[in-house]
Amino acid sequence: MDLVLDDKVKALREELRAFFAKNLPPEYARKTLAGDKLSKDEHIHWHSLLKEKGWHVPLWPKEYGGPGWGPMERFIWEEESGLAGAPRLNHVSQDLLGPVLIEFGTPEQKAELLPRILSSEDWWCQGFSEPQAGSDLANLQMRAVRDGDDYIVTGTKLWTSYAHVSNKIFCLVRTSTDGPKQAGISFLLVDMEQPGVTVSPIYTLGHMLSVNEVQIEDVRVPVSNLVGREGGAWDITKFLLGNERLMGAWIGVNMAFARQVRARLEENGPNGRPRSENAALAQRVAEVETDLLALRYTTYRVLADELSGKSAGSEVSVIKVRGGEIMQALTELLMEMAEAEGMVHPYHMPEGGPPVVPAELEHMAQQFFDKRKLTIYGGSSEIQRNIIARRLLNV
Amino acid sequence: MDFNYDDNQRMLFDMVDRFLTDKHDLASREKLLKDPAAEAALWSEMAELGLIGAAFTEDQGGFANSSVDAMVVMERFGRHLVTQPYLYTAIIGGRLLIEGLAGDARDEAIASVIAGESQLALAAGSQHLLHSAQDTSFTAERDGAGWTVRGRMPVVLNGDRADRFIVAARTAGSVGERDGVTLFLVETDGEGVSRRSLRTIDAFGAAELVLENVALGDDAVLGPVDGGLPLVETALDYGIVAVCNEAIGSMEYLIPATAEYTRTRVQYGAPLSKFQVLQHRMADMYIQTQTAKSMALVAAMSLDGDPIERARMASAAKVQVGRSAKFVGYQAVQLHGGMGVSEELDIGHHYIRLNVINQLFGDTGFHSRRFGALAGPTTQLVTA
Repeated sequence: MDLVLDDKVKALREELRAFFAKNLPPEYARKTLAGDKLSKDEHIHWHSLLKEKGWHVPLWPKEYGGPGWGPMERFIWEEESGLAGAPRLNHVSQDLLGPVLIEFGTPEQKAELLPRILSSEDWWCQGFSEPQAGSDLANLQMRAVRDGDDYIVTGTKLWTSYAHVSNKIFCLVRTSTDGPKQAGISFLLVDMEQPGVTVSPIYTLGHMLSVNEVQIEDVRVPVSNLVGREGGAWDITKFLLGNERLMGAWIGVNMAFARQVRARLEENGPNGRPRSENAALAQRVAEVETDLLALRYTTYRVLADELSGKSAGSEVSVIKVRGGEIMQALTELLMEMAEAEGMVHPYHMPEGGPPVVPAELEHMAQQFFDKRKLTIYGGSSEIQRNIIARRLLNV
Repeated sequence: MDFNYDDNQRMLFDMVDRFLTDKHDLASREKLLKDPAAEAALWSEMAELGLIGAAFTEDQGGFANSSVDAMVVMERFGRHLVTQPYLYTAIIGGRLLIEGLAGDARDEAIASVIAGESQLALAAGSQHLLHSAQDTSFTAERDGAGWTVRGRMPVVLNGDRADRFIVAARTAGSVGERDGVTLFLVETDGEGVSRRSLRTIDAFGAAELVLENVALGDDAVLGPVDGGLPLVETALDYGIVAVCNEAIGSMEYLIPATAEYTRTRVQYGAPLSKFQVLQHRMADMYIQTQTAKSMALVAAMSLDGDPIERARMASAAKVQVGRSAKFVGYQAVQLHGGMGVSEELDIGHHYIRLNVINQLFGDTGFHSRRFGALAGPTTQLVTA
């Protein structure tokens, strides 16, 4: 039993810290840490800065242009990039689709599509959820009917993140209604820049735009755009979700929030006295900090067990539930400690003149309400509890 | 990074588990509580097995490779609801001897503890359950070449079996000040020392301790005069991490026991385990236990390192474990229904002990404040 990280991993942590300190534009970090959004151009710029190291595709093996990291290195990356306030990259393309194509794609798909992800030419979004298929994903209805060398695709995807800035979408589509629901689902790549594909924004609390509705009507998609075999999407989906299963801890981002919370606690409040003199507030902060420590070490425990060959149990669900809850608690504390200045709507501030509130406070309320999604998406907290209970009860 | 017991710790774990499975089911536990001679005999057997020595490293006269070994013992004690005073004699008392004595006096005192011949109790004073010795109500005054100690403490844990008390008395300054607390070794049979035995609600032994003008020499002083508080705090950090690991053993037993009960108990035509509201309750018990377990293990691994980090991790673990233990114990009882509150089942006994653990050595509120103070501007939450 020990808490020691390998020298190689420790060296990577130092290298990452030094790199972020030197190369991460402060404005990008400020925006990311304050809950503000970066433009697509800014994302592409940050992407290009990481390219030299292969860190723009942190999950990819070396032969495809990535760093070839193992699970521990990937996790250190998540931790340090979150902590530094590094913008999250074109996550859907690089972390979700990229590894799927590398694992399941045809040589032609790999040759054509991977370079376009590496160069930021393609921005992908993920077409999974539908109006009648949220937590119950296997209930999805988008149809793909074979017609010669094409599929004809019709249906609606919902809650599609980044669809409004993407040119391509990978969809789970129903290619068969026979047999178990899961067995009739296929993984299909669809070009969005064609007639029949309509993206409508869905504004979430605080007038945030990150999710959309994507309607696809009688769109012809070549059969060569199928990933894996027809009806084989369920295993691909499990692989894809498995790649980000420890992401739900949000350890790096949560630590960055916790650092902000602690800093504001030590600052003077409106009465000219340090906020930490408010015993109830100080206690809440300390409890969230200990929650975060416990989550962090639970994540390391799962990682260390996996690396030593022990298969993960439902601890992964524990991490998903707690990661979301802790971020919600931290952003709530940030909003509350900002008091009146934390209540403003960032999209309804006066134009021109000096800022009414400090830039780092403008998005506090918006950010807090935006984080409600964490316990809803990616398998809601209730689904995670079902998973845990099934294991405890062997049912 | 590795959160699993190593081979030696695993062997220790298995040995303790086998021993307690044989000797310490609920029925034999009940008998022990009525039979002081049997309790003493069990303690001797534990000493022979080397369990007490597992709380001391080789250079201290014991067999431990690290402080984690004693935490392994405590984890199994939690599973088997052991009421033996390992925590008070071997871990807290032992640590005070290690830190406060030197030379032959230290070696002899530790040797008799390891042999199972000496029992210790910390009387840190005040109404608190063994934290904040700066609030002690014991006082000691210089009297020629020696000291006169007086005071009363209502509940001294393991006070019923101790042959030596470690008394925190104020020798300078006033209540609440960190300086001016001195530790004294007080023999139970000394003049002016009286005790009345009792048990706490979790069936552990304790005593009221009254010291009436007890005359002590300088050789009874443990650690520096007026500087005893840091020793108590160090010893209690070991005690905190010990009860955290004890609680993990208890909680990791309660979850499958509760799951099994809900699978077999049929109401309204279905096993209780079919009701989603109960499934989610058990999932929450699991979530609470897993996060607490990570902190208990991290705190165990931090014991032998930097003292500030040890204290920080001990407090963080105590906050997590305290909250988790109360929740898991409470829900285990609730899901067992009437059986949960019956003394015939071990479930309720675990619940009681978990609640006492939350109170011991400072509760969640106390330790979140302490963690907050240690995590303040000078110390980063984030370490490598």
